[in-house]
Amino acid sequence: MRIRFFLAILALCGSVTAINAQASLKLPETVKVSPAALNTEPICDPKISASWRKAQEIEGVKIRESNLCSPDNPYLIAAAVKGTNNISMATLMETNLSPDAIIKTDDIDGDGDPDRITIKLEVVELNGKTPDFEGVLPTFDIAPGVQPGAWVFAPKTSGMSTENFESIKANSLLRLPSPVIRVEVGDIVQIVLENTHYLPHTIHLHGVDHPFTHSDGHVAGGDGVPQTNEMFLMPGESRVYEFQPRQSGTMLYHCHVQTHTHLAMGLVGMIIVEENRPNNWLQTLNVGGGHVRYPSVAIQEDFDEEFDLHYHAMDKELHEIIQKYNDPRLIARDMNRLYDITDAKEDYFTLNGLSFPYTLRESLVIAEPDQKIKLRVANTASEMVALHTHGHKATITHYDGIEHNPIAQITRDVYALAAAQRLDLTLNTTNDGLHSYGEGIWLFHDHREKGITTNGMNPGGNVSAIVYKKYLNEIGLPMGLGVDISKYFTHEFHARKLPIWQDLDEAGSLGAPGVRTGFDPEIQNTLFNLLGGFIVGILIYLIIAKRQTALATITGVTSKLRSSKGDKANG
Amino acid sequence: MAKKSLFIAFLLGVITLGATAYAQQDTADHSDHEMDHSEHSGHDHSEHDHSEHTMDHDEHDHSGHAHSSDDHKGMDHEHDHSMHMHGEHEMLHGDDHSDHAGHDDHHHHHDGHIMDHEGTHIMGQNFDKLPSSCSSISEEIEITVRAGAKYAKKFPGTTFAFDQQQWRVKPCSKITWHFVNEDNVRHQFMMHGLPRYLYHLGMFHLENTGPRTVTGTMIVPAADETYLVHCDISQHMEKGMKAQLVVGNGGEDIPSIPGLTPYVINDVYEAEDLPKVSDKDDAGGKKKDSFTKQITDFFNDNVPFTGLALIGLLFGLVCAPLFAKIITFRKKDTPETA
Ligand SMILES: [Cu+2]
Ligand SMILES: [Cu+2]
Repeated sequence: MRIRFFLAILALCGSVTAINAQASLKLPETVKVSPAALNTEPICDPKISASWRKAQEIEGVKIRESNLCSPDNPYLIAAAVKGTNNISMATLMETNLSPDAIIKTDDIDGDGDPDRITIKLEVVELNGKTPDFEGVLPTFDIAPGVQPGAWVFAPKTSGMSTENFESIKANSLLRLPSPVIRVEVGDIVQIVLENTHYLPHTIHLHGVDHPFTHSDGHVAGGDGVPQTNEMFLMPGESRVYEFQPRQSGTMLYHCHVQTHTHLAMGLVGMIIVEENRPNNWLQTLNVGGGHVRYPSVAIQEDFDEEFDLHYHAMDKELHEIIQKYNDPRLIARDMNRLYDITDAKEDYFTLNGLSFPYTLRESLVIAEPDQKIKLRVANTASEMVALHTHGHKATITHYDGIEHNPIAQITRDVYALAAAQRLDLTLNTTNDGLHSYGEGIWLFHDHREKGITTNGMNPGGNVSAIVYKKYLNEIGLPMGLGVDISKYFTHEFHARKLPIWQDLDEAGSLGAPGVRTGFDPEIQNTLFNLLGGFIVGILIYLIIAKRQTALATITGVTSKLRSSKGDKANG
Repeated sequence: MAKKSLFIAFLLGVITLGATAYAQQDTADHSDHEMDHSEHSGHDHSEHDHSEHTMDHDEHDHSGHAHSSDDHKGMDHEHDHSMHMHGEHEMLHGDDHSDHAGHDDHHHHHDGHIMDHEGTHIMGQNFDKLPSSCSSISEEIEITVRAGAKYAKKFPGTTFAFDQQQWRVKPCSKITWHFVNEDNVRHQFMMHGLPRYLYHLGMFHLENTGPRTVTGTMIVPAADETYLVHCDISQHMEKGMKAQLVVGNGGEDIPSIPGLTPYVINDVYEAEDLPKVSDKDDAGGKKKDSFTKQITDFFNDNVPFTGLALIGLLFGLVCAPLFAKIITFRKKDTPETA
């Protein structure tokens, strides 16, 4: 009876293995992710009016055409050129600026432009923590669904911090990077820092001619170092930084409190001192950087177009701290004492505050043949950037705002920028095989390969492109001859959930594999082992269970033998 | 069996001990709240309760008041909306409290939205439109609200706050709010959830771009309701600038108001091993004899009911049934082996 049962089990095992071996011959099918299952964003932000792209005149300010997908708000440009004190309320209301954000007065040298410039900046947190719900606010995506916590200097705004009452998205003035500031040589500039944030901050004018201190003590000089020349600017306090720059150039401003974290958090922007010219009304703020739609007189003399390109990088772990805690003491603890920048590595790489594909919306360099284009490039990452231009070799004219000896200027296609370094490049679009190879869509990007990823996902990072007008479509995007870019405008791509190669061919031969029907080889092995063990176990059991019988037989036999021996001996 | 019940009794003891330790903290907080409440009600229920504040007002914001009453008059006029270059540039050396005269020209009206050239906002002002639920105005009151970083000092872990976290008013009250900003940055007094047929987007909003006073008037509906009041500047509400207006008996409390209502999502606090004076045997300080030191050290380490102790307690609770089982198993075993 027992033996029959045992044989039945063995037979069953045998047949199961045979069937399974048959099934495992076929590899799993490709699983295609349907576009309908994706959280896809429109490639251009639908809230931005197409009319913003046109050349137009607002408040007497002639604003250049900007054929980007997300052009700058022309009303904001008018306000930045005239000052919020010299425009109508109607224009101001189109900008979200506070009426005291940019004040321009006093033509001191009588050359037709204002020479006293006041710029008010607030300190704004993006993607921060709330004790009320899981999630961050006000939100700012550097790429679809990618929301690192950040701090920025923002122009002084009016009203809500979000787009509207239903939205938790930051209003358009509250964004990375901190705005590009433009002032003129000789201007008496006051930057008023209003600390609306919960931690102390300051402003350090990096490379801009500024005094160490003012003798009257009412205003700060602009060095911003708490250990040498000024106190921490605490929450709720404001401070005036006054300076009158004597030299022009592409410079920086940044917070100098705990600079190893505060700068990386986003409290850094470009400040450009323009050469003095008559009637030189400057676009005091270029919010979001990129195309300058109202370039200075000096730039108009020598260049066709001008672009501000601000490169930055972020370590994910640092930017998560403000999303972990609400209590400022815990944030200060982690930022000041637990976070170790010497163990840090950069995960997000941005151009003008955004990563690919958003860089396509607003940081394209739009070109035409035979132009001279001024690129002001700044690197505020903690590592160097190796900027490379496809199809072009540009000339480095200035390092850190100072003109390089014209005879010794270098023309090349990889431009190395140390941390905090600025380069002025002249991009010549003459098709001569040297400066330009002709019209097209030519990428420009960091050539450290991690720079073209977003947290390791490629394409991402600071990739953008020089696009000739001929290759620009009606919504301001490059008419690519390559793959469809809409899949990069999904949250799933950045969440590593979209197998982007699934559509390379009909068969989806490089898509994501499904799972095997039947058992996969590893499980098969495990099962074999289990079965083997089971059988051995049953054998051992049988042996032990039959021990008595076996012993009895053995003793029976030996005793028989003995008794027969004894019989013989006795007999 | 005796052993088992003894164990259970011990367990209960531990639980009650833990609970009381926790409750003590809680009641301490509560008594604070209650004190706040009584303070508030003392304030808010008296109809014209300027008596308490008059001195402050005289010192700080008379000019502000004068300014905002100008606002009301200016409301009905059409003005030239353009802003002119100032003849003289304010050099911003100090604050500009005094500079309030003659600003009427710069008011802008837009959906009942008034903004002057300094960015002072009044939105959703309502002097006379009765909510449909009210037959008449029950009372006319004035409430002064102060905003600033200094009011957050009494709430550890916050940065900005209003001077009060709750106001109580009768249904159908007409309230004139004097919103005094005592910081050198922008603050807002923003109320949500009002009837949309009277208030654009259901809100009443006052905003100051700097240290000034802005005044606005509104009428609350008859229903018992609790309205959120906050500052919408990034992180100001999250870091303490949040309060509630209770009409009549009020509705559901608004969460995360400092000292008043609990946070929905709480931070985790862990005790840190920070240096203490008692750890240091410096010659200058009073030296304790070794016996006192031992005792104080013992209590220093044990008195604070830390997060780790809580975890320990939870762990104990979870493991208790397991221990109980082990003990009963043993008891079962004993008679068999014996
Ligand atoms: Cu800082
Ligand atoms: Cu505020």
